[in-house]
Amino acid sequence: MYIMPKSQARALAAALAEDYDLHGPVLREESGEPMFDRVEDPAAIRLEAAIPYNPPKSVVFPQAERIMSYRYDREAKTVSLERDDLVRPKALVGLRACDLNGLLCLDRFYLGQEYVDEFYRDHRKKMFIVVNNCVRPFPQCFCVCTDSGPAAREGYDVALTGDGDDYLFEAGSEKGQALARRLGLKEAGPGAAGRKAKIIDASIARFDAEATENKAWISRVMNRITTGFISNDIWEFIGDQCFECGACSFVCPTCSCFNIEDINSREGRTDRMRSWDSCSYEGYTRMAGEHNPRRPVEDRRNKRFFCKLSYSQSRKYLRPGCVGCGRCNRVCPGDIGIANVVTYIRREITKAGAK
Amino acid sequence: MSTRTGICNFCGTGCGHLLKVDNGVARGVFASPDHPVSQGRLCVRGWHIHELLSTRDRILAPMVRRNGRLEPVSYDEAIAAAADGLSRWSGDEIAFLASPRSSNEDNYCLARLARTVFRTPNIGLASDQGHGDAADVLLEGAGFPAMLGALTEIRKAKLILVVGGDIAKLNPIVGSEIHRAARRGAELVTLSGRLTQIAKLSGRHLWFKPGTLRHSLAALAKVLVERGWHDASFLRDRAEGFDDFARYLAGLDLAALAAASGLEPAAIEDLARSLAQAPTAMAFFTSGIAGLDRPSVALLFDLFLAAGKIGREGCGVNPVAGICNIVGSYDVGASPRFLAGCRRAEGPAAGRTPRELLAADPTPLKAMMVVDRDEEIVRHAAKLKALECLVYVGAYGNPFVEFAHVVIPSATCAEADGTYTNTERRIQLSRKKIEPPPGVRPAWRICADVAARRGASWPGASAEDVMREIAAAVPAYGAVTYAGLEKGFGLQWPVDAGHPAGTVRFDAAAAPRRLRFVPAGADLGVAAVSKDFPFLLMAGKANYFWHRNNVMKKTQIPKREYNALLLLYPRGFVELAASDAKALGVRDRAPVNVIAEGGSMRVAVRISGDVKPGTAFVPYFIEDMVPGFLNAAGAAIDEDQESAIPVRIEKV
Amino acid sequence: MSGANAGAIVTVPETAVIDEIRDEIEDVRTFYFSFENPEAARAFRARSGQFVMCTVYGAGEFAVSLPFSPEDDRPHLSVRQVGKVTRALHELRPGDKIGLRGPFGNGFPFESIKGKNVIYVAGGIGLIPLRSSIVHVLQHRQDFGRIILIYGSKSSQELMYRDMIEKWKATEGFETYFTIDRPEPGWTGPVGFVHTLVAPAKVPVENTVAFVCGPPLMFNSVIKELLAAGIKDEAIMSTLERHMKCGIGKCQHCAIGRTLVCTDGPVYTYKQIKTLGEQI
Repeated sequence: MYIMPKSQARALAAALAEDYDLHGPVLREESGEPMFDRVEDPAAIRLEAAIPYNPPKSVVFPQAERIMSYRYDREAKTVSLERDDLVRPKALVGLRACDLNGLLCLDRFYLGQEYVDEFYRDHRKKMFIVVNNCVRPFPQCFCVCTDSGPAAREGYDVALTGDGDDYLFEAGSEKGQALARRLGLKEAGPGAAGRKAKIIDASIARFDAEATENKAWISRVMNRITTGFISNDIWEFIGDQCFECGACSFVCPTCSCFNIEDINSREGRTDRMRSWDSCSYEGYTRMAGEHNPRRPVEDRRNKRFFCKLSYSQSRKYLRPGCVGCGRCNRVCPGDIGIANVVTYIRREITKAGAK
Repeated sequence: MSTRTGICNFCGTGCGHLLKVDNGVARGVFASPDHPVSQGRLCVRGWHIHELLSTRDRILAPMVRRNGRLEPVSYDEAIAAAADGLSRWSGDEIAFLASPRSSNEDNYCLARLARTVFRTPNIGLASDQGHGDAADVLLEGAGFPAMLGALTEIRKAKLILVVGGDIAKLNPIVGSEIHRAARRGAELVTLSGRLTQIAKLSGRHLWFKPGTLRHSLAALAKVLVERGWHDASFLRDRAEGFDDFARYLAGLDLAALAAASGLEPAAIEDLARSLAQAPTAMAFFTSGIAGLDRPSVALLFDLFLAAGKIGREGCGVNPVAGICNIVGSYDVGASPRFLAGCRRAEGPAAGRTPRELLAADPTPLKAMMVVDRDEEIVRHAAKLKALECLVYVGAYGNPFVEFAHVVIPSATCAEADGTYTNTERRIQLSRKKIEPPPGVRPAWRICADVAARRGASWPGASAEDVMREIAAAVPAYGAVTYAGLEKGFGLQWPVDAGHPAGTVRFDAAAAPRRLRFVPAGADLGVAAVSKDFPFLLMAGKANYFWHRNNVMKKTQIPKREYNALLLLYPRGFVELAASDAKALGVRDRAPVNVIAEGGSMRVAVRISGDVKPGTAFVPYFIEDMVPGFLNAAGAAIDEDQESAIPVRIEKV
Repeated sequence: MSGANAGAIVTVPETAVIDEIRDEIEDVRTFYFSFENPEAARAFRARSGQFVMCTVYGAGEFAVSLPFSPEDDRPHLSVRQVGKVTRALHELRPGDKIGLRGPFGNGFPFESIKGKNVIYVAGGIGLIPLRSSIVHVLQHRQDFGRIILIYGSKSSQELMYRDMIEKWKATEGFETYFTIDRPEPGWTGPVGFVHTLVAPAKVPVENTVAFVCGPPLMFNSVIKELLAAGIKDEAIMSTLERHMKCGIGKCQHCAIGRTLVCTDGPVYTYKQIKTLGEQI
């Protein structure tokens, strides 16, 4: 472990900017709201900013992107295909632990099943990750319930933990070590690991008083969702409140569903576009012809929470699909973000337990 | 940074978004966390506006029809052809069809072009009847022709009454604000003829018989006034015409009203009492699309006025516009009823809407200029085809192009600076974020160039210059400047010398005149079933209806969602209660004939718990149905009125 | 990637030429194709029960089951026009080109059914995904017990592959039962939904597997009959259809409960289907 004065954060970003496209938390000019975005100027990155409003997943899984284009000349019967080169070295500087865990879920899902998703793999290649452990929670957070924070355990090149005027700088890879050397950082000495543990424990201790927006009790609810012992009334109650906007999927660091469409241009080229999709939409499962196996809105809501919180899905991610970032609660027009849903189900469990 | 702040261009809520632009193409959108109305929320349409903005289905070149074929020409040639072609006609031979999605700058210039260059008062939007009625009533009653309250004040209302159409589907983020207020303890009541989503979220749902909204509102008002629950001191200080209103109510028979509406007298009384006792209360109804007619808006206004829930914090009667700039379009005079500044057009200044002129048989119209629309095409294709001169200005591929003699491409909302006024009167500036295709100009510029060709010289060189002219012409915009709008998230009109920071809500105490009760008219009307026509049929717009979907068709996900319903019932559907379907011996998706006095149509049955036995519902978005059935059977529906048609339904 | 689907065309479609088009029934055509690239042709090893993602250039991509048995006939697809992309496919003519990815999915387990009686129950175009299996089983007639096809459709005009079925009938001991939903002139066979033939066919129960494919309503009634006859739920197999975009387990459109039809399926036993926790 090393010590990096906070004043050196800009130098860290600048060093990475030489070899990578830089992405990180920035503050919007109009309002000061934190967003995760591509930056040209390393000085724009704000490590101290609150958890960004958008998850970093668009870096590896853009909202809409061309994955291929082709021309078909029906007269000459010729086909020409082209693929865009998606491999660009990227540095993600200042990721929070929840979002890093979200990225690891995407890795396991896109890269780890029977097939490898080549487009995701190309985005993910040559990446440098600097995680910024949370020394205090934000009001919306419940990563302690989903085992995804406040500190990251794996998957980073560098982990920073704020310690007064310094950061404790842990290298998680060879690349991270090299960066420490390049920045000329001092060794932190033998007591550093203990100091970090203390800082993180203090952060966890603050959740009760400070992370007040959501009180999720994920573990018991996971059991319920996996076994399916949740009455249909609960799903209907939740379904009635769903405005079917899809926002929960779009702001979720682990939601990975996509749509594919071929879009023709006037010049005869067709672009195969891949874009974010959401299981809350009625058209998502509808087949050509007329059959739609999952039409009622409560079935669709049910599906999403099953996907986020059941053990069987956890096998895919090697952890729950929810990383406790609290974003869905903030953007949901129907007030049925995951923490509220967990509360409803928990209420039912308690009720059933009293019987 | 790759995202730019902007305003959603779909519905009248005017949500804030962050548009992601990559190499000059819109590649994504994220909800703006800071926007005072939307606060980080968007609906399914809003989350996919980049799909519309990046569509390949654009009009890119100016074209003129020669020997029956559209041929590309230079911009100047197209302007000349448009100006010269239109100039041959006058009076009722010519009309201008404006778009409620266009910016204030675009519509101001189009209205000016119509009225000052081509000297015709025939300029209007298409689906604006409902909003026009609402604006009319509110102007008469309060001197304030738009939402009296504010979306940002919804959380201050202790009782919220949603009337008519499904606000959760048509304006989802307004529906969300209402839902959140209810979750924080406000009482939410829906008054509708159908089980809507907002009704499901309501603590109370007064489910009246189709076509009896007026009766329901009149019954509520009668109970409120005759029990003495009206706010007498408020009315004494602030209102006039109460005695006439009370006399009008005295002439109504409560038992007859209750029987007509099918509502329990106890439910009417409870709601009237709640409304009177609530310290603050707001009413919401969707206008413009599936809006309320004039008598209904008048009764709703009078009810809230009697209860003292007008012009105070957390109160107000609030029309909610279906399309993003209906309010602004009225403000700048894109209407035959109002001049810029919502001054009533009188005498020769009062015109007719393009819709009215097209509907006349034979139509007097010979020439039309249309900006970014496609609604009239369905009903009047033959008449449009017969026009001598049709000029179409728009950004996207459009059925009008098929009939147009001159086509001029215009910039999208992301390709030009412009202001849009949302349903709570919030004038919002949307900056240019994307370079338009080569040679493509904003619509206001095209209007100015047509005017110049006719010898009128308009000084403005930028959208900001046009706003300076609007500020001079429209008193409620008197102190609006781009710099002022850009500081935050727009300003709510009136923005004038007295209110430089805008006006959150209408304030009765500060109003220049007293509030007035607005007469609803004596005839409440009622559609009655008979032995031959035993069902009451409602018509409404479905979730993904937008501009007859010329816009939605250019997206992928919203189009798919729209189709999810449509393809399941490819020839349209009629919703029936399960018990009625059983009695008719039909299953879901079975074909039936729906027969009214004036016509019939064949559609599929959709069994639904959202309609009561004895009533039926057709979504009013299936093109073939409009001329085939609704034209014949429902002139009232055509006018966006709350109504019901007696029909018979037969198994095929 | 697991060994089973090694060589599958995963990401970029390979171009294939449409050699011949045959009309089957109303709205259903069979497209015979061959790959442009000989490498792809060699690598493309379809197993019975698998599917491909088919690109109609300029229109899009759709998932379609493979009806041909690799051992006997020419590669082809039988497709009903039901949506935008399949309509565009139907507009193509011989010589036109399409793109193919795949083959994907698990396929039917032939090794484990050797020596058993095999029952096929199909409704309408549900015969398409079963076709390759029937061809395989008939070709290895000696490896199986009774082989029964129970097939029903709306009308006689909507029975698929009638010529082929006639040829198959030449195989000794191949029992066939046909029905149509409503009576029509010239039809002498049974009338009624396909599940009504299960009991009259006196299907064997012991040492028997059943393959069922057809629309959801038909599927449910047939399953009921088979179970009533005494066939075990693990001996009933079906191939499921879902909306699919990627074919490789990433887009998630085809998720049913915890399973993905594209990679875990499309072939499932009824025992598995019962526990998926969602409608079929």
